[in-house]
Amino acid sequence: MNLMNAASLITRLEGGIDGDVHMDGGQIAGVTVAGLGVVFAVLVLLVLIIFLFNKIFEAIYNSQRKKEISEAAQSAPKSDPVPAAAAKPAAPAVKAAAQDDDEVIAVISAVVAMMSEADGRSYRVKSVKPVQGFSGRTAWAMDGRRQNVAPF
Amino acid sequence: MSILMDILLGLWENSGLGQFGLNWATLGTLAMILLSFVFMYLAIVKGFEPLLLLPIAFGMFLSNLPAGLPEDMIFHAEFWNEPQSAEWFWKVLHDGGLLDKLYLGVKLQIYPCLIFLGIGTMTDFGPLIANPKSFLLGAAAQGGIFFTFVAAGLLGMTAAECGSIAIIGGADGPTSIYVSSKLLEGANSKLNTGTIALAAYTYMALVPVIQPFWMKLLTTKKERAIKMPQLRQPSKTEKIIFPVVVTLVVALIIPSAASLVGMLMFGNLLKESGACDRLVDTAQNALMNIVTIFLGISVGATTTASNVCNWDFIKVMGLGVVAFSLGTISGLLLAKLMNLITGGKVNPLIGSAGVSAVPMAARISQKVGAQTDPTNFLLMHAMGPNVAGVIGSAVAAGVLLSVVK
Repeated sequence: MNLMNAASLITRLEGGIDGDVHMDGGQIAGVTVAGLGVVFAVLVLLVLIIFLFNKIFEAIYNSQRKKEISEAAQSAPKSDPVPAAAAKPAAPAVKAAAQDDDEVIAVISAVVAMMSEADGRSYRVKSVKPVQGFSGRTAWAMDGRRQNVAPF
Repeated sequence: MSILMDILLGLWENSGLGQFGLNWATLGTLAMILLSFVFMYLAIVKGFEPLLLLPIAFGMFLSNLPAGLPEDMIFHAEFWNEPQSAEWFWKVLHDGGLLDKLYLGVKLQIYPCLIFLGIGTMTDFGPLIANPKSFLLGAAAQGGIFFTFVAAGLLGMTAAECGSIAIIGGADGPTSIYVSSKLLEGANSKLNTGTIALAAYTYMALVPVIQPFWMKLLTTKKERAIKMPQLRQPSKTEKIIFPVVVTLVVALIIPSAASLVGMLMFGNLLKESGACDRLVDTAQNALMNIVTIFLGISVGATTTASNVCNWDFIKVMGLGVVAFSLGTISGLLLAKLMNLITGGKVNPLIGSAGVSAVPMAARISQKVGAQTDPTNFLLMHAMGPNVAGVIGSAVAAGVLLSVVK
């Protein structure tokens, strides 16, 4: 169906169709083409407007962010950083992480031991690796998300 | 003694029991009462949309109980096929039963708009603002409305009947009631708003049954496993501007959709403004619950034996499932096309959420996606087309009301 045909169908609807009328093929096609066309036209217009708004707000956000960064850089103290001093606190953090890993491995081993007791088979934990989920989420974050979405 | 007998006889003749006899009308009435019990069972025991189905079932039960005197009837089905006039309004208010008076809110299109106000206060348009392309899926799913219009037209129905049945494809109860009550007003038709509403809400409750079938049939496992990146969080200013812009655009282009879209967006503006917490609380709780009770019980009352036990009702139910399925298919196909164009960045499952059964359709997208890959979270991506579908079905309703007089 070309545009001229569609236009002529829509023209036939001028003034509307009486609700009690049994429509002919042309009127049915006219309502369908005009109806779907108008719904798409209105929603495409909204897509364009919202898209435009997105761009404007993005530009405003970016300019504000740049301003904040430049202000922060100006107000920061100008003393030279000491790399050695900065590196020092890292050691206890690594130690704490290692300790956390030990606890996690102990918990995982306990769960596996419980499972082996339940089904009468024995398992051995060979390695424990952190799993990185989609969008950079950890396994714990993914599980939290799954729990939040589960009620839906 | 004879006086006592006369009184007792009079009481018997005026009672509901005195109206039962061995005829088709009695059988129809009994069938409707039994059907109301089935609906009550489904609502209470099976939990099928109980907030709406239970009031509908009880309204059905009440209006099908016979009464000897017309003035004792709680609902008069015969009133609602007459054209509206000042005398007609007087008759409803003076001679009508309680449910007749409550049904005025449906007939005058007050309840659907108030429900849209409540929905607006509960809707987050954030996913739609973050991904405006979702609007297209909301538009595509309205194909169900217009393709069903064609099917109903080919079956020889009148224009008003075609429009009233087709709008079921929008999967939006208040919109179906709004359109059918306007189109069928004074029309020479056996259909009524009650049967349209019953079909619409029945199929909305059956979304988890109807949609997954088409979703699995029309998509591949690979497509269903597509993961979409997390959406950005729109700012408060964007969320405040959105309802104003949508109202402006829709009301200027389709004025007949202004009541529905205007109330939806007004409710949303109340919510997003953050300045009207008391109004938001009332709109989304007390007002919504009151209107749901009035709407449910009065719509249920219209399903009398004479309105339901006929071929037209069966046609409505048959075309209703066609409308719903076509809406789902249209959304899925456009989402597949978008996936093709974007090089595999759109999961086609979010397309079926373009029908406006909020949030059930989005929940189904999430559920079917998670069945393929439990680490796939489509809920917020599907909410975009889902809320776009509400706007889309209101626009489609406006088009139908503009074209069919």
